[in-house]
Formats: sequence, C-alpha cells, structure tokens
Amino acid sequence: MQKASSVAKTIDRAFHVAAGIAASSPVVFLAGIVTIVVIQAMPSIRFNGWHFLTSLTWNIGNVYGGLEHEHGVTAASGASFGSRVFIVGTLASSVIALLMAVPVSLLTAVVLAYRTRGALRAILSTLVELLAGIPSVVIGLWGMTVLTPWISTQLGPLLSRVGGVIPYLRGPVGTGMGLLASGCVLAVMTIPIITATTRDLLLQVPTLYREGGIGLGMTDWEVVRHICFPCIREGFIGAVALGFGRAMGETMAVLMVSGNAVNLLPQNLYSPTSTMAAFVADQLDSALTDASKMAVHALSELALLLMVLTVATNLAARRLVSLGRRRQWRTGVDAR
Amino acid sequence: MKRSMRWICTTAGAAGVLTLVAGCGATTGGHTVSAGGSGASNVDHAAGTNHVVASRAQAVTLTETGSSLLYPLFTDQWIQAYKSVDPSVTIEASSTGSGTGISQAVAGTVNIGASDAYMADQQVSQNQGMLNIPLAISAQQVMYNLPGVHGHLHLTGNLLAKIYQGKIQYWDDPAISAANPGLHLPHLAITPVTRSDGSGDTFLFTQFLSDTNPTWKNGPGYGTSVNWPPVHSEVAANGNQGVVTTLAGTKGAIGYVGISWLDNAVAKGLGYAALQNKAGNFVLPTETNIQAAADAATDIPKDERISLIDEPGQNSYPIINFEYAIVNQQQRGATGTALKHFLEWAIDPQGGNAAKYMTPVHFLPLPSKVEPLSQAQIQQIGG
Repeated sequence: MQKASSVAKTIDRAFHVAAGIAASSPVVFLAGIVTIVVIQAMPSIRFNGWHFLTSLTWNIGNVYGGLEHEHGVTAASGASFGSRVFIVGTLASSVIALLMAVPVSLLTAVVLAYRTRGALRAILSTLVELLAGIPSVVIGLWGMTVLTPWISTQLGPLLSRVGGVIPYLRGPVGTGMGLLASGCVLAVMTIPIITATTRDLLLQVPTLYREGGIGLGMTDWEVVRHICFPCIREGFIGAVALGFGRAMGETMAVLMVSGNAVNLLPQNLYSPTSTMAAFVADQLDSALTDASKMAVHALSELALLLMVLTVATNLAARRLVSLGRRRQWRTGVDAR
Repeated sequence: MKRSMRWICTTAGAAGVLTLVAGCGATTGGHTVSAGGSGASNVDHAAGTNHVVASRAQAVTLTETGSSLLYPLFTDQWIQAYKSVDPSVTIEASSTGSGTGISQAVAGTVNIGASDAYMADQQVSQNQGMLNIPLAISAQQVMYNLPGVHGHLHLTGNLLAKIYQGKIQYWDDPAISAANPGLHLPHLAITPVTRSDGSGDTFLFTQFLSDTNPTWKNGPGYGTSVNWPPVHSEVAANGNQGVVTTLAGTKGAIGYVGISWLDNAVAKGLGYAALQNKAGNFVLPTETNIQAAADAATDIPKDERISLIDEPGQNSYPIINFEYAIVNQQQRGATGTALKHFLEWAIDPQGGNAAKYMTPVHFLPLPSKVEPLSQAQIQQIGG
C-alpha cells in the first residue's frame, strides 16, 4: 500500500470541505427561508390576528394617505388583510384539478403498466413525463388563448344547461377565466405526477396475484379493481396528495387564467378566483410601495400559510407512498 | 462509525461556515453594488494621472429597473442612443414594475428606479433625499370590446366609476345611452377588467375615478393596487398584455390600457373611448390632446410629485401622467456625475426627449416649463 502524498491529502481535505458545504446547503437554505418568512410575517400576525384566516377583504389601505397604529405595529390607514378568498380559491381549484386528473391518471397508469410493453411503453412513459416538463407559463398561455374562450363560448353554456340541477354548474359563465379554467390547467400539470407514481406502484403488484385473478376468469376491470387497486391504495392516495401539493403551489399558469378575483368568493364553477401563490406573485410590486411595509408582511404571512399547507401535504404524501411501497413488498414476499 | 462521525463533523462545520457567509452576504449586500462603482473609479484615478480628469472618461455602469411602460424607452431607444453620447457609460435596464423600481432605488440597489407613479408622502418623509424626476409624458386610454359599435364611445369618469362599482351592469344602461345620443348599444353584460398586478396604470385610472366620483374617492381611493369593490362579473388580468388579451377575448369587456399598447389593441379589434374632460368635452388620446393637457398643468411643485389627471382646457385629455425616474440624490463620485449627465440628456428636447425616441413608444416630451424643474432636481444629485 502506497503512502498518501501531501498533495493527495490536501485534495482529500478540500474534497471533504466542498462536499460538506454542498451537502449542508439544502438544510441551510430551507432553514434560512423558513426563518425569513416567519420573521417577515410576524408584524402581520400581530396586526391581523385570527382575522387573517376569516376575513374576505384584502385592502392594503390608502398608501398615499396617513398611517395607523394597532397592536404596536404600523400600517397604511384603512388597511386590513384577510386571506379567506385565496384559501378557498387555492383549495377549490386544486380539488377541481384532482377531480379531473385522478381518473385520467389512474387509467393511463393501468394502460402503461399492463397493456403496453417494450418500446411502446417507453415512448408513452416518456411522453407523460415530458408533459411534466412543459413550463407552466406555456400551459398558462394555452389556457388563456384557447381554453378560456372555449369555456366561455362552448363548455360553460353546455355545462350550465346540462347540469342545471347542480347549483355550482349554473351560469353566468362570464369570460371563462375562473375556477374551471384554473382547475383544467392544474389538471394538465398534475396528471404526469400522479400517472408516473401510480404506474410505478402498479408495476410492483406481484404478477402472481394478477395471474391468479385472470386464472379465476376475472375481467381486466375486475383484476384492476379487486386485486391491483387494493394493493396500491395507500401509495395511490400518496400520489394524489403529491399532485395536490403541486397544484396548490402552482403560480404562473393560474395567474393567467384564474381571473384573479379579490374581495369575493366564487359563486359557481366559472367564477373568477385567486390562489395564494398567484396573489403573492401579483401583489408584491404594489406592496413594496407601502411605506409602513405592512403589505409585504401580510404577503409573507400568506406565503407562510401556503408553505405550511404544501409542506404538510407533501409530508403526508411521502409517508403514504412509502407505506404503500412497504406493504407491497411485504405482500410480495408473502406471495412467494 | 468513526468515519461517518468525521463526515458529520465536517458537514456541520461547513454548514456553520455557510450560514456565516450567507449572513455576511445579507448584511453587506447593499454595499457591494456601489462598491463596484467606486472600485472602478479608483482604478481609473490610479492609472489615469495623465488623463484629462473628465468624469465622462471613466467607465461607469448605471442600473435601472421598474416600470414596464418605461422599459421599452430605455431598452429600445435610450440605451442604444446614449452609447454614442457617452461611450464610457453603460446602462442596464430591466422591467420589474413601478413598486419594485421605487423600493430598489430607495434601497440603493439601482441608480434609477422607473415609476409611473410618484412616491407617497409617507415614503418621501421616511426616505429623505429621494428625488422624483419626470422624464416624459404618458397617457392611458379606456378600451372596450363591443362588436358592431363603430366610432368612439363617449364615457365619463363618473360612468366608469359606476361600472367598476357594479352599479351599471349593461351596455344599454340609460346613463351610458344618455352620454351617447344616437348610438345604438346592445343589451350586453359589462365585464369590467382590472389589473391584477400592482400597476401605474391602476394608479392613473383610479385617480381619474377619484377625481370624478366622490363615492370612489371615499371608497377604494387610488393607488398602484386598490381595494376594488366586489363585482361578480369583474376579472383581473396581469400586465397590459393580459388586459388586452382578456378584452379581445370577451365581448362586452371594458378596461384601461397604457398608451403604448394602443396600436396593438386596436389591431385586435378593440375600440377606445373619448373621455369627458374638465371642460365637459369628450376627447380622444391624440398627441394634440395629450400635449394640450400637459401644457395646461400649472402649479407644479418643486419636487414634481403631482397628479396630471383632469387638467383644465377645451382639448385636454383627462388621463395623462409624468413618467418618473426615482433617484437617490446621494450618489458616489463618478456614478453620480454619470447619472446626472444621463438624466440631463434624457430630458433634453434635442437629446432623449426628441421625437425620434418618444414617438415609437407613444410618449410625449416634457412641456418646456416643466423641463427646468426636472433640471433643478437633477442638479441636486451629488456626493
């Protein structure tokens, strides 16, 4: 064995330090971002209290007027910040997206996992994953120029006639910009995530189980429904939650098609709405003109709320997906 | 085991170092930009003893950010033109929004903050030494999508306020018909369109509504983003681009658009209104009418922070404004001199205010009586 030269030792030390810095950066950045957002949000938390979660009105106050002091903090006169419109908008548009994305993703995943093989499967899988790589602004542009006029003139009037019994489907349809359009663009973005995860889960279902089902004379549908799906249930819920987290955090595409309503809740499926992420992106510039800086603090609180919601969803999702994987692995062993 | 311990120690140590570096970076961040400028000038002093000591000979970079309305003037016209005026000065411009322009100029991260709106009193008193220097005149038109309606609709600020309050909901409302005798308007729902992002356009439009409708003045008031009254049919779009696209895609929609977008929007089939001015006449945003309004502006204060909405005069177009350069009067040596020279050139009728730069972006030069005021403010820039 050769003795390490001093040069090699120096290189090794440099390597250790560089690797250490690189490895610690995600932790440092995460901690830094959380700290800054919390510090920035504190004055707003003191100023607004619980009112922030319940109030419908977001008013940065008269920036060109005087200041007011409340709870030891300063804001522009007349300012009051409520995020209910954005919480409702975020949750509603994400749920609508999932209602569309889940069936499509599940069926696509079944086809990819069981009905295709070799080159065809590779090509189709790649296409699904490419869909995830389309920049959201491109999807937003499509939503703005193609989808919203179509909703306004075709889909909306049709739905409001067909579904007249369901209150949320009734008109007026308006510009087409609103909940439904936001849900559609978010569905396009969540489908690849849910599909790819579900396909992987389905591929891990032991072949023996499926063969058993087919041997018993079960139809394709029955095999998927009674054998495959129970095996992947937790993992699938996790995949859906991953999609949900993605949908809640999406900014640009929603900004372009949501109609960005403020101060009022959606009345029906076509109503203009706003999401938390889109609103923060939209309002930061104006908030910077507030001499009291309270508008920026309030946006930080909104960002904090969004961060808590998405991190919680993602954590739950990861936990469920890994539970699902472990369970399959176990059942797989049992099957042998 | 021992090995992994060592790794963890190195990692933890490195994390500490990184935090420290990040912390220092954050606290000294404000200085780094200006330090670059003075560093460059030091080098010049040391090496250039046999130079003629002219500040123009020193290489300086001026940074600009802010208003998306001013951005085309900088990037398509002025930056290129100023290269031949003073090759040693490089100007870097970016389009971020008026609010960002103001706050970055205050923070000292840029030399010029471009803004369609002047700074509020509170901001000025909190940040002493910030100058609001008008560079040009801009205007705004009210646009609508009404197929089959030819000519220009007559609208007043009061009618617009009622539309944006949800009090007028259909185009054939008697109040609109009364202002447009002889014009047949369809029974079509009005979709008011606002700007979702903070915007100088919103500032101008809401100032016009505040000036012409007392309820609006007490209610939402004016600002780069305001507390719009809840109207169910209303949508908000991002940027002038977004407003024009939304208007073009929605029959019965109405919205406000910056003058530099006029040609683009008319090509998409949108109409624009003749607005009622203070004298009671309905006027279009033509060059003559905008100029008339600019010339009618009187009592402009020394700091030039003033609304030009609804100026008197038979032909004055009611929605016009100054486009501002927000500048800190405390500037370091060479940067300050370069900034001063550039701004002097920019407002010069033979320089940056010449028609060949203004016309492509539909701006108008500063009126001759305003230019000396801007000039006096520019002279306050120094060390």
